[in-house]
Amino acid sequence: MVLGRCPWYIAGPMLGVVIVALRATANRPLGALGGYIDVAEHITRRSRLGFSAFLLAGIVIGGALFRLTIGASSPSPSYSGLLPADPILQLGILVVAGFAMGVGARAAGGCTSGHGLTGMSLGSPASIVAAMTFFGTAVWLAHVWAWLTGASL
Amino acid sequence: MKTKATGLLGGVVFGFTLAWARLTDPRVIRDMLLLNEPHVFLIMGSAVAIAAIGVRVLKARGARCLVTGEAVGWSLERPATRHVTGSMLFALGWTVAGTCPGPVAAMIGEGRLVGVPVAVGLLAGVTLQRMLAPRKDVEAHMRAAAAAGL
Repeated sequence: MVLGRCPWYIAGPMLGVVIVALRATANRPLGALGGYIDVAEHITRRSRLGFSAFLLAGIVIGGALFRLTIGASSPSPSYSGLLPADPILQLGILVVAGFAMGVGARAAGGCTSGHGLTGMSLGSPASIVAAMTFFGTAVWLAHVWAWLTGASL
Repeated sequence: MKTKATGLLGGVVFGFTLAWARLTDPRVIRDMLLLNEPHVFLIMGSAVAIAAIGVRVLKARGARCLVTGEAVGWSLERPATRHVTGSMLFALGWTVAGTCPGPVAAMIGEGRLVGVPVAVGLLAGVTLQRMLAPRKDVEAHMRAAAAAGL
């Protein structure tokens, strides 16, 4: 089966439907960050894994299902051209980037999915502020980085 | 248990869609942030629009959750400084890694193990943030997050 990249007008509504479905079935938000918190607390405090951890596990399974079905021939992206090629340096940068996201998103109470999708759709003022901040900052940083490294914009 | 199964199923559809729409490719995220293509903004915009209508219809009809039986509802959270400072730090990691907590999980599912160090960093980050955050902030934050259902 050969299907290309899912167009936005299918992917967007699918994500919207997932948010509505989680609300209709369990009254819970779609947010990936909670899963990491759940897993981290399971490791450090032996707490039981809840809804958020299962949601996160589902995302991993969803990615695997895509790869096993229609994504079998999809190109495999790497960070070449985006990050330094040295594997150890790249590994270090990715851990630090993940760390910054973990600290920042937990302080802010949500990430791209929790604030940017779910909170925005609920009209939560905190989520609107958070999403505007991370979009604005990231767009600015990406441009500064491209300018500094001389990449074409 | 049913709630967890619902989460798992929702996650599967979410992860599959992220991978299919190539949001698991750091290059796509970088191109979005450089404003080179509208694809990701259109995905997020249409998702928010559909969800905004859907959840309001549920609430207006007084719907009860199919699994838990509780009334569909949520409360809104007021913005605070941490939403701005936290999101700025989050944006730094997002720009560098070209991925965020949801897509990186789908990326690992696709067998792209370059996502693993990002996930490890995320786990360390959420743990350390809670250790470093002042006690009263943590409590206020937990109340607010629970109220908002986040």
